[in-house]
Amino acid sequence: MNSASVTKTKESGIADPLSERSLAAWEIVSVTSSVLIAEWILSAAAGRSKLIVAIPTTLAFILIICSHLLRRESPRELGFRFDNFLSALKLLLLPMIAIAGISLLIALLSGARPDFFRWHVERMILIQLSIAFGWGFLQQYVLQSFINRRAQILWGRGTASILLTALIFSGLHFPNPWLMVLTFVGGLVWAFVYQRQPNLFALAVSHSLMTWVLVSTLPTSALNHLRIGFKYFA
Amino acid sequence: MNGKSRARLVHLLISKSIIEALLMTFVAVAFFFATTNPYVRGVLDNADRVSVTGWVVDESRPSARIEVQLFVDDRFAAAAIADRYRPDVHEAKRAADDWHGFVFDTPKLSVGSHEARVYAVHSNGSGARRTLQLIGKPYRFQTE
Repeated sequence: MNSASVTKTKESGIADPLSERSLAAWEIVSVTSSVLIAEWILSAAAGRSKLIVAIPTTLAFILIICSHLLRRESPRELGFRFDNFLSALKLLLLPMIAIAGISLLIALLSGARPDFFRWHVERMILIQLSIAFGWGFLQQYVLQSFINRRAQILWGRGTASILLTALIFSGLHFPNPWLMVLTFVGGLVWAFVYQRQPNLFALAVSHSLMTWVLVSTLPTSALNHLRIGFKYFA
Repeated sequence: MNGKSRARLVHLLISKSIIEALLMTFVAVAFFFATTNPYVRGVLDNADRVSVTGWVVDESRPSARIEVQLFVDDRFAAAAIADRYRPDVHEAKRAADDWHGFVFDTPKLSVGSHEARVYAVHSNGSGARRTLQLIGKPYRFQTE
């Protein structure tokens, strides 16, 4: 073993072959692989009951929560707070307006008719938006409070960690090409805002509203019902 | 993060990896049995410009008739039930009765070399997934 890679912790004096950065990288890989296993292997292999998909997802959440506890990260640090809600929303406003404008323009150019009620027509739009807020909150929690923070341990605050967060978010939406592009752009914006104003509630609002706008404006065939992983081919 | 916490996190990561590896192994084995019937036995005896013949038996249900599909040059050609008279299969103690043969009429083919493949159709318990299982070996033949 390379002696340079062996560090001694101050508290215990025990030789530790893993640096803080390697551990953060391992955590990112572990959670990402759980999502990929659920998306690609288990949803393909599972029969009618999709309960098996819950196993890697649950394992990933156990790891994430334990990691927060072991690293002594407070809920406030993670983004569970309201004091900076408006500041975070202010940072998000301009990119949100820009993306909404671009998607409306694409819709008009491609001849698609925007319809703000076509997202799950069987549900009231307010109920659908509430569900999207919850789902967006969960995604932003994993993406920002875990992956973005671990990426910052790896490469510090700034371009590299923002790029890594956006790339992972986009990669998890493979093979849906439009969604990969959109999530990459969204990932960049959300990771940037989180590093300045960590607020998960504002990010979840942005996530749900942007999904609504994109689903309502872009051609249905382009987004393929937001399907990703093995389900994309279903 | 102190040394103890770090060690705990490493143990957690290793445990998670082990559980996921075991889960993947279980899924791979379960998927194999859901999509494959290991008891199917059969032979594609002959293929020519007139017909494609052979036999197939499910040894776990020796009196059941199996659905088979013919593919010529990787293209679906026909489907049938393997219920033709084949006393030789019964005599060889491969089947419970004489009715496990299949005969397909060869579709019209261009002059030259062709390949026939016959597959047994396997359906999983719930019927949600149907898969094809090659019987014997692919059979190459010429048409003039």
